[in-house]
Amino acid sequence: MSLQATSSPSRAWLTGMREAIPLLGGYVPVAISFGLIATQAGFSAWEAVLISTLIYAGASQFLFVGMVAAGGPLWLVVAMTLLINVRHVVYAPNLAPWLTSSRWWPWLMHGLTDQVFAVAHARLPQLPASQRLGWFTGAALLAWLSWIGGTALGAVAGGELVARWALMGEILPFALPALFLVLIAPRFTSRRWSLALAITIGIALLLTMSGLTNVAIPLAAVCGALCFYSVKFVTTGKGERHE
Amino acid sequence: MSSALWVAVLASALGTLLMRLLPLVWMQRRLERQANDDSLEAIPQWLSLLGPLMIAAVFGVSLMPVAPGALSWLATLIGVLVTLAVWWHKRTLGWPVAAGVAAYGVVVMLAGLAS
Repeated sequence: MSLQATSSPSRAWLTGMREAIPLLGGYVPVAISFGLIATQAGFSAWEAVLISTLIYAGASQFLFVGMVAAGGPLWLVVAMTLLINVRHVVYAPNLAPWLTSSRWWPWLMHGLTDQVFAVAHARLPQLPASQRLGWFTGAALLAWLSWIGGTALGAVAGGELVARWALMGEILPFALPALFLVLIAPRFTSRRWSLALAITIGIALLLTMSGLTNVAIPLAAVCGALCFYSVKFVTTGKGERHE
Repeated sequence: MSSALWVAVLASALGTLLMRLLPLVWMQRRLERQANDDSLEAIPQWLSLLGPLMIAAVFGVSLMPVAPGALSWLATLIGVLVTLAVWWHKRTLGWPVAAGVAAYGVVVMLAGLAS
């Protein structure tokens, strides 16, 4: 019993890391691209790594270096960076019911990216309370370190890597949609949920294809939520079941 | 990097951290209040609804291939179907992802050989 109590947190740590491995398929190629683009924009390798370490938010980092390179006013650079990241405000409250009373949780929120949220939202409710902190720390830390490491790699040798392993850079990112598909598949529990999820996925994809990647996530989620509520309204009017 | 640029990096980093951190503090306090007051809803329904929908939106965004084209869309479709099929049988996290990436990779490489 005591053995289990002492070994569980470290096992939870490792489980978190193992379950975050699919994220690397998407993180590393994008981080390499960021490192490469940042150095091409005039940042040194160390500066690119520090930006990835401190800001740690993919899309906004690309915007940050792009706007700085274009000579945009710095107040606008900061405002746009924060505007893109504003979607993150809904993530932590959704995890809060599953978080324990540890003081580490607020600081661990630095690692709460879109992808880490998706995995944590599915996995934390399934874990015993004693393992959640370890699991999240392992998963978030691996994702963060892979992002920093990928940036360093891209800043130092990005051009050569892209030229030599172009195909791997095309294949590995599919790990992200595959992972998210596995995470949302169990949510298709009713016609109402299925419709809301399908509309969200479709709108997010269409917005991305139109070049509106930065607004795709919050806008598609809001459309899905509106669909969820309107389906309830229509079926209630006909006196049928909601679900 | 100039000191003004450093301030911009730090402001962006701090702002992003606060956007991730402060809503957690708010929700934890709300949950504490709810424990003492049964009339208060633990999580507002719209907020609990947005969680899964945000994941669905992230999935939609990530479906866009790195190099869009007819073959990469075909590879995406096959990768999605294989991922779903393996998930249906295994109900685990790792195997469906590995199988999906493998299927996607095979289609991309076969297309590369054929062209």
